[in-house]
Amino acid sequence: MKTQRLTELSLLTAAALIVFIVELRFPDILPIPGIKLGLANIFTVYGVYRFTGKEVFLMVATRVILGAIFCSNFSALLYSTAGAMLCLAGMLLVKHIIPVKYLWLCSMIGAILHNTGQITVAILVMRSLAVLPFYPILITSGCIAGLFTGICAQLILKRNFHKEQE
Amino acid sequence: MPKGTKICLAVVILIFAASAVTSFILLRPTKRDSSTESVYVEIVQNNKVIYKLDLSKEADRTIRITSDGGGWNDVRIENGQISVADADCPDHTCVKAGVLKYDYLPVVCLPHKLVIRFCGEQEAK
Repeated sequence: MKTQRLTELSLLTAAALIVFIVELRFPDILPIPGIKLGLANIFTVYGVYRFTGKEVFLMVATRVILGAIFCSNFSALLYSTAGAMLCLAGMLLVKHIIPVKYLWLCSMIGAILHNTGQITVAILVMRSLAVLPFYPILITSGCIAGLFTGICAQLILKRNFHKEQE
Repeated sequence: MPKGTKICLAVVILIFAASAVTSFILLRPTKRDSSTESVYVEIVQNNKVIYKLDLSKEADRTIRITSDGGGWNDVRIENGQISVADADCPDHTCVKAGVLKYDYLPVVCLPHKLVIRFCGEQEAK
């Protein structure tokens, strides 16, 4: 990996981590576990269209692990790992179908998969289907949040900060 | 718009519409009134029912439920309503959820694997 690429990835990871921690301080909109804007995913979606799969994976994995350490919330680590990885895998796949112009759509699919991963882990951890009714509510909020983060990432990509380097 | 994108868009719209409608149905508050009829709730921990209560007969009280990991939740019954008054879990989602009022949406504490939900009369004895 070239040093320039490494620096860029590290910088984006650090920025994503800051956004992630700041967002935890936001008051909850609805008292349902898992509902949040997911602003840190702006960097994930951006990375999916900007870097290779391996590079984004490193970025997301670092952010998830460091995020859990900084917030000392290890019970959430399982949920965020499952959500983030399923979301990432799905977005890397649909990236080949969806052009950059419709990046927001890719982000929405990512959000749906993120919630799917979280609910699956919740059902496995609780060994009960009690959390299943939260699923449609999570998807509804996730789609809106995914659309928002997708539009944000699209705006950043449009500015072509990286054009001069290549 | 390429064909693949169109299909993706259609799928996303379909999923979004379906979940929005389902959420709307799920989020209608229950019309149960514990002052006139029996309202049964169960407190489930680690997928085992540890308490079954009839809210219309319960006096106001607080039950402390400890979990295997040493954590605790204070479940409060007040005026025929049940809620988590306090807990030492990291996210406090169970406390913020307030009183149990939806048929299908239980009050959940994910870190302590605790669920408080309405249940049928037959199950509660």
